[in-house]
Amino acid sequence: MTQEHEDPKFEQWLQDAARTTYHAPRTTPRDEMWNKIVAARRNKRVIALRPWLRWAVAAAAVLVLGIGIGRWSAHQVSEPVNGTTTAEGMRTTNEIDSLASVAYQVAATQYLSRTEAFLTSFRADANRSANTARLARQARDLLTTTQLMLDSPAGDNPRLRSLLEDLELVLMQISLLNPLQDGHDRDLITQGMNQSNVLPKLRSAIPAGPVPVRTEGAL
Amino acid sequence: MDESTLIARVRAGDSAAERTLYDAHVDRVYRLAFRLAGDDALAQDFTQETFIRAFDRLGSFRGEAAFSTWLHTITTTVVLNGLRKVKRFRQREADIDDAHDIGVAQRHAEPDLKVRLKQAIDDLPEGYRTVFLMHDVEGYTHEEIGAVLGVETGTSKAQLSRARAKLRVALSDFAGEWVQ
Repeated sequence: MTQEHEDPKFEQWLQDAARTTYHAPRTTPRDEMWNKIVAARRNKRVIALRPWLRWAVAAAAVLVLGIGIGRWSAHQVSEPVNGTTTAEGMRTTNEIDSLASVAYQVAATQYLSRTEAFLTSFRADANRSANTARLARQARDLLTTTQLMLDSPAGDNPRLRSLLEDLELVLMQISLLNPLQDGHDRDLITQGMNQSNVLPKLRSAIPAGPVPVRTEGAL
Repeated sequence: MDESTLIARVRAGDSAAERTLYDAHVDRVYRLAFRLAGDDALAQDFTQETFIRAFDRLGSFRGEAAFSTWLHTITTTVVLNGLRKVKRFRQREADIDDAHDIGVAQRHAEPDLKVRLKQAIDDLPEGYRTVFLMHDVEGYTHEEIGAVLGVETGTSKAQLSRARAKLRVALSDFAGEWVQ
């Protein structure tokens, strides 16, 4: 039964117009996507077998934060108030270590998620005019953290090092974009990202789920 | 080979079966991802992520619903979460831009039908837009949409009806196109 507010002519016209003009897909790039799926799953398996590496990455990602926490905690433990026992001091140290570990997990996950969101958005906006100066500034911020991680023990793992080096290269290129003639440069950066599978590799290093859930896992 | 046999072989680690299962479903997954995302790179990312998750979690697929329903549930979750993430990121950029653009008058050219239609669909609430694209554009039934999105069939129908009503109002300038 046709309801009062329905209009079959309009609905048919709308369907035809939307099917032909709204986000009309091109031919499915089957092999291209399959190759990336295979590569990402292979990469994910290797990283999943080494949970301790995730801790190393997390620790490196918040190196600066960790130093701050460490200094603060050392100050707190080294200056006990009158009447504090050694056992209480040790308990406090353990609690602080636990808090620092959580902080490492949160910060590392946020770094990886932020980098993924930034690169996903950059690639999606590759053909649009955007604020190049701002993109460059954001890339520089992420580049600093990436380089800290590369210089940490986490950089000793070949696979992680490869991912971090890919990220470093991409972020460095974006940070150097010229606002006056960035169209061609952006295309080259995007091509490079696609060829090196940076985003699938990055995503495979990020645990599934929203950030608060991710922090409950190994990372 | 029927699909349950194929799934059993994938679970047993048969990589050729994985590819066969992928080939059987990838077109529909990619099309839906593209319709929702409107960007080839994002659609490819979402499609890849869908299959990566599906293969990783195939052990939890009990066969109570059709495999395609289960797979499309993953697809819509991946796509909608991914789009929200990109939208939040772009919104932060836009907020910064807006702060710089205060006092700058915006000029809008008279858009054509294609532009107006795109804008009208983009402006729909997420739930309305998803149901509209799945039903009217990609041809899913209300039963399929309900199963994939985890809502009642009646909810799917109601959302489609509201989506069409909103689009009709937004596109009223073009009434001559369909009132003939």
